[in-house]
Amino acid sequence: MTKETIKAGAWGIAVTVALAVLIIVGSRNLAHFDAALVAYTFATLFAAFGITYRYAMWLQRPPTALYWKRGWQVFLRPQYLARNIATWFKRVTGDMALNHFIARRGALRWSAHMLIMWGCIIAIAITFPLVYGWIHFETLPNDTEWYRAYLFGFPTFAFPIHSLMGFLIFHGLVWASFLVIAGVMLAMRRRMRDHGAAAVQQFAEDFLPIILLFAISVTGLMLTASYTWMRGYAYDFLAILHAITVIFTLLWLPFGKFFHIFQRPAQLGVSFYKDIGALEDHAHCRRCGEAFASRMHVEDLIEVERKLGFRYEMANEAGHYQWICPRCRRAMLALAQGRMWRGESQI
Amino acid sequence: MSALPNQLNDIIEHYGPHLAFSEGVRLATDAEPDKVVKTHCCFCGQQCGIQLKVKDNVVIGFEPRVDYPFNKGMLCPKGVKRYLQGAHPDRLITALRRDPASPGGFSSMPYDEAIARTAAEIERIQATYGNDAMGVLSGASLTTEKAYLMGKFARVALKTPFIDYNGRLCMVSAGAGNKKAFGVDRAANPWSDILGAEVVWISGSNVAECAPITTNYVWQARENGAKIIVVDPRITPIARTCDLFLPIKPGRDIALFNGILHLMIENDWLDHDFINNWTVGFDAAAEHVKEWTPRKTAEVTGITERAIRQAAEWWGKAKTSFLMHARGIEHHSHGVQNVLGAINIVLASGRIGRENCGYGTITGQGNGQGGREHGQKCDQLPGMRDISNPEHRAHIAGIWGIDEKEMPQAGVDAYEIFRKIDRGEIKGLLSICFNPKVSLPDNNFVARMLDKLEFYVAIDFFLNESAYHADIVLPGSLHEEDEGIVTQIEGRVIKINKAVDPPGDAKQDWRIIQDIARAMGRERGFTFNEPREILDELRVASKGGIADYYGITYEKIERQNGVFWPCYNEEHHGTPRLFEPGSWNPIAKGAGPFYFPDGKARINVAPYTPPAEDVDEEYPIMLTTGRVISQFLSGTQTRRIGPLVEQYPEPRIEMHPRLAEKLGIENGDWATAESRRGVITLRAQVVTTIRPDTIFIPYHWAGAKSANQLTISAQDPISKIPEYKVCAVRVRRAAGAPDWANEQGELAGQTHRPNLVG
Amino acid sequence: MAVPSHLEFFVDPNRCIGCKACVQACSECDTHKGYPMIHLEYIDRAHSVQTVPVICMHCDQPTCAEVCPADAIKRTGDGVVQSARKPRCIACNNCVIACPFGVPKMETGFKLMMKCDMCYDRSSAGLKPMCAAVCPSGALFYGTREQIEQSRPRSQAVKKFQFGGQTITTKVNMMTPKVASAEYLDVTAAMDEQTIGKEITFNILDAASGY
Repeated sequence: MTKETIKAGAWGIAVTVALAVLIIVGSRNLAHFDAALVAYTFATLFAAFGITYRYAMWLQRPPTALYWKRGWQVFLRPQYLARNIATWFKRVTGDMALNHFIARRGALRWSAHMLIMWGCIIAIAITFPLVYGWIHFETLPNDTEWYRAYLFGFPTFAFPIHSLMGFLIFHGLVWASFLVIAGVMLAMRRRMRDHGAAAVQQFAEDFLPIILLFAISVTGLMLTASYTWMRGYAYDFLAILHAITVIFTLLWLPFGKFFHIFQRPAQLGVSFYKDIGALEDHAHCRRCGEAFASRMHVEDLIEVERKLGFRYEMANEAGHYQWICPRCRRAMLALAQGRMWRGESQI
Repeated sequence: MSALPNQLNDIIEHYGPHLAFSEGVRLATDAEPDKVVKTHCCFCGQQCGIQLKVKDNVVIGFEPRVDYPFNKGMLCPKGVKRYLQGAHPDRLITALRRDPASPGGFSSMPYDEAIARTAAEIERIQATYGNDAMGVLSGASLTTEKAYLMGKFARVALKTPFIDYNGRLCMVSAGAGNKKAFGVDRAANPWSDILGAEVVWISGSNVAECAPITTNYVWQARENGAKIIVVDPRITPIARTCDLFLPIKPGRDIALFNGILHLMIENDWLDHDFINNWTVGFDAAAEHVKEWTPRKTAEVTGITERAIRQAAEWWGKAKTSFLMHARGIEHHSHGVQNVLGAINIVLASGRIGRENCGYGTITGQGNGQGGREHGQKCDQLPGMRDISNPEHRAHIAGIWGIDEKEMPQAGVDAYEIFRKIDRGEIKGLLSICFNPKVSLPDNNFVARMLDKLEFYVAIDFFLNESAYHADIVLPGSLHEEDEGIVTQIEGRVIKINKAVDPPGDAKQDWRIIQDIARAMGRERGFTFNEPREILDELRVASKGGIADYYGITYEKIERQNGVFWPCYNEEHHGTPRLFEPGSWNPIAKGAGPFYFPDGKARINVAPYTPPAEDVDEEYPIMLTTGRVISQFLSGTQTRRIGPLVEQYPEPRIEMHPRLAEKLGIENGDWATAESRRGVITLRAQVVTTIRPDTIFIPYHWAGAKSANQLTISAQDPISKIPEYKVCAVRVRRAAGAPDWANEQGELAGQTHRPNLVG
Repeated sequence: MAVPSHLEFFVDPNRCIGCKACVQACSECDTHKGYPMIHLEYIDRAHSVQTVPVICMHCDQPTCAEVCPADAIKRTGDGVVQSARKPRCIACNNCVIACPFGVPKMETGFKLMMKCDMCYDRSSAGLKPMCAAVCPSGALFYGTREQIEQSRPRSQAVKKFQFGGQTITTKVNMMTPKVASAEYLDVTAAMDEQTIGKEITFNILDAASGY
């Protein structure tokens, strides 16, 4: 076992234990915990371990580690902090909540991602607290037609069961699954028809996540259909089927495409790194003199490259190849080749 | 009455040029084409094979066509983006009539009414002023079937001698020179002969930008050991890494060729057997070039003696060679002499008519070759026959079913047609596939003449700048909307296949011509139902002529991937290489390989004369013009294709830093170039890749950006080609930006780049 | 599907004429439609028409992938270094400035690195990448080793490049003169080179006088 894996394993255990404690505390010593959902609970605990382990491993790769460190450093720099916080809210709304950058890649793509993302967010916001016993509902003592929601055992708002509000709340997962199914359809359509996607897509990486989301949504809807219209026909079987799809997805979270959910926030760190880099010293190409990146970025990359074992050091005054801009790199490639031919054709 | 509508921007707003980019289904990554059509590119004379992807009657993209041997899938940027000319917002889909009250200066009219009006106007003009008062301007981008029909239409339906074509600006010097020297006008060799040449000599051709696929042949020859010699006033991309670059002063090519011949004689780098057996006139030429010593040649051409001697040595000692030239030596008031000079050094070397020994002119337009063979040239009848030769007249009159006496005699060249308008001799004009207001020299004069016409009908698929002056515009067809044959750079006849139908009221051009003939009650001989029927008549008409197409059919072209003319009968495979020992031709009839009764080639005395307008104190700088790779000719198509416009958005004045410094001009400054005929203000591009005594302006743009405002209308006395490649100008730093740069101008209404989908 | 192992890419910038057919065709490929990934630039237009086409060289150990903090750049089994995986790329620009050949492009609006992927939709189906299919000068050639050896007798293909102390081995070949019998191309050694090609004044008779 390497140092990295031990570290990552420790983090994984810590987070898993912390989640377990939160479940116990949040459900008031399991008072509100539904034993029927215990399989789900253990699946999420395992997923928490897996995700944390992988995240910690990922953070220990030299480029990621550096970005992680620098991202926080520049974010917390006192002179930029206020501005950074304001920008943070803007970016969380624009890029994270509204997926603006995906919208620019294409309307269809954006629609699919928004539907799936918000469907999943709604579903997770409903199911996880329920499974952990963090939320439960009780009828009002004086009126059985009213429900009150409890969060971590504390009473919150109440609503009539047979109201629109009640209907919306109790069918929250139905609405979420509608969103997810619509998004999945759009995504699947693209995967089936797009020539570019066809060239690079793989089953495990690209189709499996769509299939899993579809399976979770459909089996969930079948549960609703079973108890709403079919007097619970095949309910137990469907419940197991649904549980299998959900648990499989949870266990697969750290390994597959869904891990991007946890990686994506790094984009925020990167954006602050770029902001501050642009405000401070620039790196000037040591061949053409043009600015091409922030000085911090170039120096950081040199460090990363050294850690990775690259030897881009140059013997001349340039010092390190990283001080040469991309345009000059391309020019030098042609010049290096062209000068070999010079003697050949009396150029 | 023709008069240019005042609101130029108004016309542009309605009729373009607007820029088309890929969008919608053309940008979709999930589009499945309904069909993929094997055809050729619509632009230059190389006629690269290409496959067009078609969906719902729109060309949505391309796929390389690797099975066609000339280009094996290769294309230049124009070929890649050619598909964007279809389904274009500027496309004319109805007939138009001049209507100054209407937005854009024109209003739509029913097609039949436009035809009737055209026929009536032609009849009125011819009844009032005589048949000769009608002129016809045609083009060499038309298929050979259409080109043939245009010649016939002028002589048989309009009964006017005055038809000429835009090959007058392109291929005529080479054509005349080739006919004088070889008796036939066609590249002598297939391009595959370049590959095995020891020396490749390129004179006056920006191969990389004007015939891009030829680049591969040249580099491939070098890979096989060839030395590449390039003669040009500019270091073009092919010149950059050539083996020997001769930076010639514009207009001095004949001096160089004479100087080379002088050195070949002096060093006895001659093929005496070949000269004795198969040429006539060597001694006179040898006598003439005696005075062209290396020193004199150097003084006239502006090239060092050392370089001239090196070129002569390589050329003289080579066992195999290929010489090619293009407009750089042909666009001159002595263009034919330049060509003859080039041919002289080929004939003296004896390196022709054999494998890897070749000569060819680089054809400019798509059908630059086929379009100059079958009678749309003012002095020519189908099969490269001569309109003043009684036998030829009788043969063609028989096929056309007219009395030989009815057939008009030779007409005049395209520019002379405008001088005839000036003199009031021509009152009506029909143009197709020709944009003289952009492409003719001294084009302010041309614009005035278009206004002077009583009636002008233009046929085109976009409203080109000349058509601004038209009374009626008839909506013609794009390349991909019709079928027919063209003859490419090597003399290979190939087949254009139809991919889509013309939209709206737009019609295939040959139908429009026939409709006009019918409306005039002169439909006899103009009742073809499809291009194949026109080809069948053309085949018979060309039979026995120099350009004999009798054995060429669509099926044979398909089967052989092209047929080289002459092709005498159905069994004949065609003639890829001309002048092979023992080869048969209808003129020599076995006497020898060349197309003269004695079978011998002619070595001509080619005397040097300076350009018509040499530099002087008042106009001390030479102007030369040419192309850029992303645009084509007068730009009617390519100035409407967004990605091509982005590649080179507007013309610039190229000048050497030494000249720029003298003039106080820096790279990117606005600079004004002025000749005795016109003035232009463009941005300066200061580069060391041009002679310091010369500036260069590309010619594809219209209006205030048109280089041909400056060029001179001096013409070669034989070929009548204008001297585009050299005139005298003066240049100064401009006080400020020109008007066109301040207005929306020609980029008005350009569409935005759409986003990536998927 | 994978790129067939007998088909290889050969680049010879010395042949390039700067026509941009490659750029125009690149934007027609379905994996990056509308966005050309190939670079084609003048080196110094004021002094030369020399141009350089740069495609991804597909390194055996891609620097871009190693410096990627998001682990977004993957090399498929056939040796093709793919464009960044869209869900992972966080648009940090590391790859853009670290690639020794200067290949990746950052589409800032998309928050996505895009790069030449050898037109994977085409090459994985046995077709030529768009740029090499159309290139009229032979600067970009895609075919078998036998074809290139037969058609370029003066040339020798190398796939090793030296950048300072670092040697990079690639899938894509660079054509060098056979007489040089070079094992690798020393890129950083060309640091002070300006442009390569003819000088207009070299053979002009009266270069010193007048204009």
